[in-house]
Amino acid sequence: MDTQQALPFRWPATYSEIPKEVFHREDIYRLELERIFYGPHWHPMAHIAEVPNPGDFKTTYLGEAPILIIHGDDGKIRVFFNSCPHRGTQLQTCSRGSAKGITCPYHRWAFDNNGGLIAAPGSERFPESFRKQDYGLRALRSDMVHGLVFATCSAAAPTLEQFLGADGKEYVGNVLGGDGRLNLLGYQKVVYATNWKEYGDNEGYHAPLLHRAFRLLQWQGGNGTQCVTAQGHKLITAELQASRNASFLDDASLVEFRDKKLPPRSVVVNLFPMSTMTKHMDVINVRYSFPRSPNETEVHYAYFSHADDDAAMVRHRLRQASNLLGPSGLISLEDGAVFNRLHEGSNTLGKVRFQKGVNGVLEAPAFVEQNDEASNLVKWEHYRQIMGFERDQP
Amino acid sequence: MTNPDVLARIDALQIKYQRALDGADMTGWLDCFGEKDASYICTTRENEEQNLPLALMMDDSYDRLKDRVRFITEVWSGTYEDYQTRHFVQRLDCADKGAGLYAVASNFMVAYTSARGRSEILAAGIYQDEISLAGNDAKFRSKKAILDTVATPRYLVYPV
Repeated sequence: MDTQQALPFRWPATYSEIPKEVFHREDIYRLELERIFYGPHWHPMAHIAEVPNPGDFKTTYLGEAPILIIHGDDGKIRVFFNSCPHRGTQLQTCSRGSAKGITCPYHRWAFDNNGGLIAAPGSERFPESFRKQDYGLRALRSDMVHGLVFATCSAAAPTLEQFLGADGKEYVGNVLGGDGRLNLLGYQKVVYATNWKEYGDNEGYHAPLLHRAFRLLQWQGGNGTQCVTAQGHKLITAELQASRNASFLDDASLVEFRDKKLPPRSVVVNLFPMSTMTKHMDVINVRYSFPRSPNETEVHYAYFSHADDDAAMVRHRLRQASNLLGPSGLISLEDGAVFNRLHEGSNTLGKVRFQKGVNGVLEAPAFVEQNDEASNLVKWEHYRQIMGFERDQP
Repeated sequence: MTNPDVLARIDALQIKYQRALDGADMTGWLDCFGEKDASYICTTRENEEQNLPLALMMDDSYDRLKDRVRFITEVWSGTYEDYQTRHFVQRLDCADKGAGLYAVASNFMVAYTSARGRSEILAAGIYQDEISLAGNDAKFRSKKAILDTVATPRYLVYPV
């Protein structure tokens, strides 16, 4: 579906500058859907903890396309378009559930949980060329790491392991409790009035400055590393340090780190194009996110406990997940505020101009200081190349 | 049939709660809760129906309620785009649980208006409350706001 034609759009010669138009133009957004979201990249769709048993399903989106994930009766988790292969009717309308199979309401075509077509009423009047096996649910390429199921619309995508790289795969595991044996705690869902790239342009520079809680709690991040891969993924880790002024809160248990089975560090994985997963304090969080237009980004924050947790640990993760890191979280609400304010403010002429850590052209993979913003420029260069935007000569 | 005086006291507490939130008066909001066994939970119908215990806000003690006030007035101050809310609450059920405690269910609808003056619905849903009339002032022992609005159209700064 790619038009194979780049838009007549020039990219600035200066490596650290991004034209603000890319956050607002409808034609650029349409090309992003084709080349990035429906192109050769992988997107997390569901963790097995969200669909633990045969028959369990979840609905979500890949780009703007409605998606249906089903745990098949054969034990395999498949990712389908949430659309009847006959006339395109949406098949499941609720966010999660369990079913013995699916029947499209329009003409009662029936499918099993593996996606196969079982029956189509009136098929004696179908053309002779009709074969049931050609009309199963349309499955996307999918694969799983640490229980997290990814999908891609593109046959040209590399394998998931190649896409993530060895480091990416390891970091995803570090977020997902080390081994991916998780239980679902629930969801927080929100719409930000921002472009998906502004949502994804968060970095380490802002953290101690925007989030006043770190200052009020005298809660500094420890030593850490930030690596950007050639695929545009950012992999960040930081030692967890205790707050030195936890009594700022009446209930300081909110900022306690209790899971001693895991290394005392926070891990953030930002996968190209826009998926984030974090393990911060005792919060295990996957943020499924998708654009709804150039001006709206929907994020589904899914939280998990670990299979080995006792009841007290589950309770602790639950309280921390509900109050610390989501759209209304103590150390994260301000991110949402900035996403929206970036989008309002970028509807102006000119370019955004990155500074911190900018030191000539970065080559991926790049290791940058933990609190630098230059890491995002590797991702931006990856974006520019995929979009086919030519850089102006200096 | 619940005693009209009881209903009047319950409704007065709900009005006090609405007035506090719509006036961004977080001290007034805190004053709607009893200091012993207090809790405020804001979650979605999706989490409730799927038996998922996660919440959007989980203030399960009076200390947590005080910290909620602190988040809004001290921690986040100056960062978020402020918005004006209007709460509309309609009592549905009221059951006497004994010892001055009542289980009350109410529909709510919350409109919000951005700084640019555009008004939309922030959330619709139901309150499941436990209200104590044992003391001089009616207080929430627990308040649970269950949002039908699963993906809110903006991030929530204030409780609902």
